[in-house]
Amino acid sequence: MWCTVGEHVLGAARRAGVTLPSLCEQGWDLACAVEVIEGRLDHADARRYYAADEEAGFALVCTAKPLTDLRLRTHQSAAMRAHRDRHGLPAPRGT
Amino acid sequence: MATRAKKHATGKVPAGDLTQRVGVEQIDARGVNVPELLEKLIDAAGAEFTTYYYYTILRMYLAGNEDYKEICEDARLEDRAHFELITPRIYELGGSIPYDIREFADRAGCPDAYLPGTEDGKQAPSADGGGPTAAAILEVLLEAERCAIRTWSEVCDLTFGKDPRTYDMAARILNEEVEHEAWFIELLSKERDGVVRPSGHFRRGTPGEAPYSKNAGFYNP
Repeated sequence: MWCTVGEHVLGAARRAGVTLPSLCEQGWDLACAVEVIEGRLDHADARRYYAADEEAGFALVCTAKPLTDLRLRTHQSAAMRAHRDRHGLPAPRGT
Repeated sequence: MATRAKKHATGKVPAGDLTQRVGVEQIDARGVNVPELLEKLIDAAGAEFTTYYYYTILRMYLAGNEDYKEICEDARLEDRAHFELITPRIYELGGSIPYDIREFADRAGCPDAYLPGTEDGKQAPSADGGGPTAAAILEVLLEAERCAIRTWSEVCDLTFGKDPRTYDMAARILNEEVEHEAWFIELLSKERDGVVRPSGHFRRGTPGEAPYSKNAGFYNP
């Protein structure tokens, strides 16, 4: 799957016919959370994303742009919420 | 003569037991994951509450665009009505909203609708008299409504055919959120792009009338 310049991963997935979970689509809730297995992303468009999220290998693909080729594991909202809880960081509980 | 047991007179909840709710048992039996639903409802209530708060500020900065201000006011009051509608249902299902409002805002399912130019609420907008543009404010309002539509569509999906009370509530709220999106598309399209995209709606009878969520209120009518 390819992203065009400036395109968010979620948008590229949709263009490719891949349905991924999402809710706010502003980089706030965790519905679209993924684990980054390989590669780097630009998270500047996210409304709420922490350095600890990146260090732990989580990304919100609704607002993340690829900086390199990527391998991602999708459907990681529960894991990302557990990570936020461990670090005392806010997260919705229902996504 | 032996009497036959009435079909609905007994169930899993023992007579006199106040620790369980038949109203929860029945939707659980029909396939609703009640703890999961509760978490979504609390997130959604948080989003409606924070939206009400931030729309109060956004509305102030639509000064001079009195038509936009009026429409923002309708959306603001209707989002408050949604909060009022959701909260009793959370308690009926055995949950509660957080005891600390900071926790409530932090777990909201949709982003804070900050006034543009405030660095996400960290500073006052420019004091040079300009302030944020109407288009920038309308963009915030529009995306807030879109998040709400996704939220309530999901709640409708989770409850359809299984939990008529929550479904009815979610559908009422969704009806109004869809109208709000249409309003803000119409206004932003003309304001920012000079393109007419009618919303199909005109005005509320009274500010924040909430024709779906307050038309036959089942709480505090």
